[in-house]
Amino acid sequence: MSTAASIEAAGERGPISRDGMTAWLLVAPAALSIIVLFVVPIGYVLLLSVTDPTVSLDHYRRLFTVPLYAGVMLNTFKTSLIVTLACLLFGYPLAYVTARRNDAIAAIFLLAVGLSFWTGFVVRTYSWLIILGNKGPVAAVYALAGWGRPPQLLFTSFSSTLGMTHILLPYMVLALYGVMRKIDPSYLRAAESLGARPFAAFSHVFLPLSLPGVVNGSVLVFTMCLGFYITPILLGTPKDMMISQLISQQIEDLLAWGFASAIAVVLLAATLVLLGIYNRFAGLDRLWG
Amino acid sequence: MARPSLFASLPLLFATLVALFLVAPMAIIVPMSFSTAISFEFPPPGFWTGYYAEYFSSPAWLDATANSFIIAFGSMVLTLLVALPAAFGFVRYRFRGKGALNMLMMLPVIVPAVVSALGYYGFLSLAYLTGTRTGVILAHSILSIPVAFLVISAALKGFDRNLERAAMSAGAGPLRTFLWITLPVLRPGILVGALFAFLHSFNEAVVAIFIAGRDASTLPKKMFESIRLESDPVIAVVSTLLTGAIFLGVLLSMLFRQSAPHRSGNAA
Repeated sequence: MSTAASIEAAGERGPISRDGMTAWLLVAPAALSIIVLFVVPIGYVLLLSVTDPTVSLDHYRRLFTVPLYAGVMLNTFKTSLIVTLACLLFGYPLAYVTARRNDAIAAIFLLAVGLSFWTGFVVRTYSWLIILGNKGPVAAVYALAGWGRPPQLLFTSFSSTLGMTHILLPYMVLALYGVMRKIDPSYLRAAESLGARPFAAFSHVFLPLSLPGVVNGSVLVFTMCLGFYITPILLGTPKDMMISQLISQQIEDLLAWGFASAIAVVLLAATLVLLGIYNRFAGLDRLWG
Repeated sequence: MARPSLFASLPLLFATLVALFLVAPMAIIVPMSFSTAISFEFPPPGFWTGYYAEYFSSPAWLDATANSFIIAFGSMVLTLLVALPAAFGFVRYRFRGKGALNMLMMLPVIVPAVVSALGYYGFLSLAYLTGTRTGVILAHSILSIPVAFLVISAALKGFDRNLERAAMSAGAGPLRTFLWITLPVLRPGILVGALFAFLHSFNEAVVAIFIAGRDASTLPKKMFESIRLESDPVIAVVSTLLTGAIFLGVLLSMLFRQSAPHRSGNAA
């Protein structure tokens, strides 16, 4: 493995060209289209947040002083934290088993993760509407068991959190799997041949080596959760709003584009700060590796 | 030996439960799509294929389906046109400002979808492009750049440049070498990048909800609105068809990868 790595490193150094002009010509179409068709629109949101309806910083003042809005931001962070921890708790064993096996079971698990990864958020949110609904299977089980009506499950922060955990879980599993797959199994065999019990070998060898995957997956899931739109709106409740619900409400019910833009800017800033910290320590490239 | 086997089987049990948690909720839409119920009722009171007939005869649903395919295809083409050269520039050259430009390339996946959606709504209405397919294609092609760029760059990093040198020393010019050697060898990576870009657009809901309007409505947007407003049972039909297609696609790609491990090894 080390020879392969060194050959690759030499190859990378050797033929890489310093012809700056050609490089710029190759990169320019992508860079320019992102600037014109992405950075400019985002800049427009920034502009709107301080100019609509009048030029002022009032929206931001309101956002940070009115308890309702501070509560929404706090709730968004809390929910994202819960979803991230739940994804880690459920995702780690699944990724571990899938990465350590090479058999049909691993293939079936990968199929399950791939299927849920590629199926759209709306479809997957819809299935929770059926499951947790008044006439759904949970209610049917309650009726069969003679427990009467189940507690209100749908349109609560519980259903919203559950739905987001379900939807973001494959992202966590794939991030963990990518790192775990590269852990050489002979390390574990070495630990065991030196007398470590399987659990000790796991906790002293495998777990520390898998930590980069834990960090990648957690950052990915947490930042995706902060701005999650579809699921909180379809499954959540206005009583425990997340940031995206507040944005949607401001636009649809109140047509308050300026205030909605200010909320969006705060959401963007929070996301950028988190990814900036991650970039400092790990390098952003690895996040989607 | 009791302890090792317990430690070996406990994670397997838990992993199986988690895999079921992933798949079971999605499986429920299949019986739902054949249900006679007019709203979210499970178990179904009876079975028929009436809502399939309704989907295939409803102009609104068929239009949304056509829009989804047209928009995903259009944005895939545009994405490839800019992401492919960019991948070559980043993998094969060193230049000033590379780090910052790399950040710029990743920006569309970093920014939360709601924020992009708000930006596009304002920006595209200035250009009179909200509610048009062109507008959604433009927005989606930008949003898909990072995925296509990452996949193609990975394939390019695994490319053995001795192949090109061999062609050149055998007398082929740069263009010929590119068309006859480089592109064919990279084809699997480019195809995967294209597929990812297509699916990224096909599944994208938030930006579409904000900018597609009625005329350019895509399937995710139409489903989102149907769920919110009327809970149309045709949603279960569409969901089943989409999930079935994805299931087949993932299954085929896994079988393909198993039969040709050396080919995809570099791309991954």
